[in-house]
Amino acid sequence: MSSRPRRRHGGGREAKRAARRKLPTSTAAYIDRKIPYYELLGDEALELIEHNAETVLEEIGIEFKDFPRALKLFHDAGADIKGERVRFPRGLCRSIIQASAPAEFTQHARNPKRNVVIGGKRTVLVPAYGPPFIRSLDEGRRYATIEDFRNFVKLTYMSPGLHHSGGTVCEPVDVPVNKRHFDMVYSHIKYSDKPFMGSVTAPERAQDTVDMAKIVFGDDFVEQNTVIVSLINANSPMTFDATMLGAATVYAEHNQATMISPFLIAGAMSPVTVAGTVTQILAEALAGMAYVQLVKPGVPVIFGTFAAAVSMQTGAPTFGTPEPSLVMYAAAALARRLGVPFRSGGGLCGSKLPDAQAAYESANTLVTSALAGVNFMLHTAGWLEGGLVMGYEKFIMDADQASMLAVFLAGVDLSENGQAMDALREVGPGSHFLGAKHTLANFETAFYRSPLADSNSFEQWQEEGSLDAAQRANKLWKSTLAAYEAPPLDPAIDEALLAFMDRRKAEFADREY
Amino acid sequence: MNDETIVNEDAEDDEIILAEMPDDELVEQMHDDLYDGMKEEIEEGTNILLARDWSAEKVLNVALVEGMRIVGIDFRDGILFVPEVLLAANAMKGGMAILRPLLAESGVKPIGKMVIGTVKGDIHDIGKNLVGMMLEGAGFEVFDIGINNSVEDFFAALKEHEPDILGMSALLTTTMPYMKVVIDELIAQGMRDDYIVLVGGAPLNEEFGKAVGADAYCRDAAQAAEVAPRMIKEKREAAGNG
Ligand code: B1M
Repeated sequence: MSSRPRRRHGGGREAKRAARRKLPTSTAAYIDRKIPYYELLGDEALELIEHNAETVLEEIGIEFKDFPRALKLFHDAGADIKGERVRFPRGLCRSIIQASAPAEFTQHARNPKRNVVIGGKRTVLVPAYGPPFIRSLDEGRRYATIEDFRNFVKLTYMSPGLHHSGGTVCEPVDVPVNKRHFDMVYSHIKYSDKPFMGSVTAPERAQDTVDMAKIVFGDDFVEQNTVIVSLINANSPMTFDATMLGAATVYAEHNQATMISPFLIAGAMSPVTVAGTVTQILAEALAGMAYVQLVKPGVPVIFGTFAAAVSMQTGAPTFGTPEPSLVMYAAAALARRLGVPFRSGGGLCGSKLPDAQAAYESANTLVTSALAGVNFMLHTAGWLEGGLVMGYEKFIMDADQASMLAVFLAGVDLSENGQAMDALREVGPGSHFLGAKHTLANFETAFYRSPLADSNSFEQWQEEGSLDAAQRANKLWKSTLAAYEAPPLDPAIDEALLAFMDRRKAEFADREY
Repeated sequence: MNDETIVNEDAEDDEIILAEMPDDELVEQMHDDLYDGMKEEIEEGTNILLARDWSAEKVLNVALVEGMRIVGIDFRDGILFVPEVLLAANAMKGGMAILRPLLAESGVKPIGKMVIGTVKGDIHDIGKNLVGMMLEGAGFEVFDIGINNSVEDFFAALKEHEPDILGMSALLTTTMPYMKVVIDELIAQGMRDDYIVLVGGAPLNEEFGKAVGADAYCRDAAQAAEVAPRMIKEKREAAGNG
């Protein structure tokens, strides 16, 4: 008996319990796609849409409201200006963009391990943006606060499936409107080390964002690298306004990326058809991106879009329906043909609660976004009620989906281990694979393990309280927040940030608009 | 369905001659025409009833307002779609344009006038447009001053149009507090009681409406069209000139 080799100690029960209970908090910094895109349309169809978009730009034109600088730049580039309407010779916008906009770029995080590459075959998953309300099982629906904002930054930091800290993860209504951006940007820097988005609601708020980033990354680094990505919406149809253009200009001048996003509720803000909507999206995105390239050639710019369909019965936006999915597939292909990164999609839904409607609508848009080839997926987690509400439980459900997308996009492992011929030989007909060597070597990571789904026996589920998905998610976000530990931040940087905010906040009075 | 049936139906449609219909049938037909958004027919029907010595007030209430009430019900119940209600409201507007001067002549108070706009810093306008549409449908004269309106813009419009109601819309938590800026200025200038102030927009709620000092928060366009005439009526009754 003594000839039997001694087993190495494995740590026993304690160690395994700790390891299995611990949720992974980090995986790859972004997804590197290994599966093909779902190409909805052939070249001929895409060329037709491109042709029509050029016709929109040439014949109808785009309004650049209250922003003379855009008119001047476009005039000098050869466009025809009448009042605030800019009409572009065919191909002008496309050639401006293709001459200088990068096909992909790196957005730096304060922790270099979290840098993300945006564009090409990469996908970066980002929490929801903009909701003025939060919802939780405990409190129902109420206005969001800065405390909620911090919570969602922390939850995002703790979610391995989310690669980016996002921007306005919820609107902190308890902080004065004209000073909110300081606290939001600071929270992203302080409570997370993932990359983040900047303020766009006024040019000076964009400038403050850049100045805070400079405290973290250094002046020169910011001027030469991209550390902020920001959301610039078109005011569709066929209009850009001064607020958004002002913010886009500040970011471009400092080499920071923007996503120019025609955000359409089809039927209200664009034609009711898929082809008509995609045409308008392309025309608006081309004009917006060309403007950014004229401000600073070579600055990273993302072709963004967000398409929903209007409810013809109420005017409300609807989500997770087939037509916007068709729009997304087409727009993604158009962005690839143009050669710029693409933003769209997310876990979108119209539901008020984290219920079945929320789950299926969100799953529809998440899968579409993944197959379409979205590079920057804003609104991946938390979105409820058409973006009016950030849901705590919904966030956990979506973050689970986000982790699954990474596995799906990694495609099929065809290595020797992946082929599993050993296992097939070892087990042979009639036995089972649970004890096979190949299984023992792979079982822990072979299948995606959801921290949220319950697949236990009815009796066990009942003994554990008969909890539904939302109730389980409620426990999970609470335990995740309880386990949160802040990533280290150089105290000198922290102090400098706080001093900057104190000084700037003292420079002007609180204002509620 | 074969071609013949279609031809027959068309022929039947063509045979409707409003001027030959007795009053009760004509009114019913006008309710249908409003429902179907037929502006010219509504204008014609309005003129026929006036020519039959109906008072403007009776035409308004019996033919038009009642017709739009039915439209409102079916919009609420999801049977009529927004573009159809838009057409109906437009048909109503056609009838109102004929009646308005006559109503004024005979000293009948108009249903109401409203100035509506989205507040400063905000460019969301789909909801506001729907509210304007519904109120026009309810017989209001609506002055839509668009998006991104400052206190000065609102005051200029109030001065120019002398409305019963000031409606403000905001979709951003960063812009909705501006409603209070406008209302505070009304108070400061001693003008607050001159107007009924209604506010709306998805990020608002009842509580917020109260906090900024509005007379009512309207959760949607249909509700705005219910609240607006009711509050005008109450205000006129309270003033003893209902
Ligand atoms: C008497 O007076 C009354 C009475 C009743 C009134 C009334 C007035 N006004 C409204 N009502 C009521 O009746 C109407 C009809 O029944 C209803 O109107 P609603 O407007 O609620 O309903 C409409 C019929 C349909 N609903 C809508 O039209 C709004 C839908 C959402 C998705 C929306 C849209 C469409 C847009 N947006 Co914006 N947008 C969102 C919205 C999210 C949402 N689900 O509400 C919201 C409001 N937006 C938001 C944001 C962040 C932004 N948007 C922006 C831009 C836009 C678009 C231009 C792309 C577009 C507006 C186009 C347009 N022409 O209106 C930007 C701001 C621009 C600006 N300066 O205003 C930008 C800042 C995004 C960016 N970074 O660029 C978020 C708010 C954040 C916050 N701080 O509160 C948001 C919740 C979405 C999100 N999660 O990001 C009632 O509220």
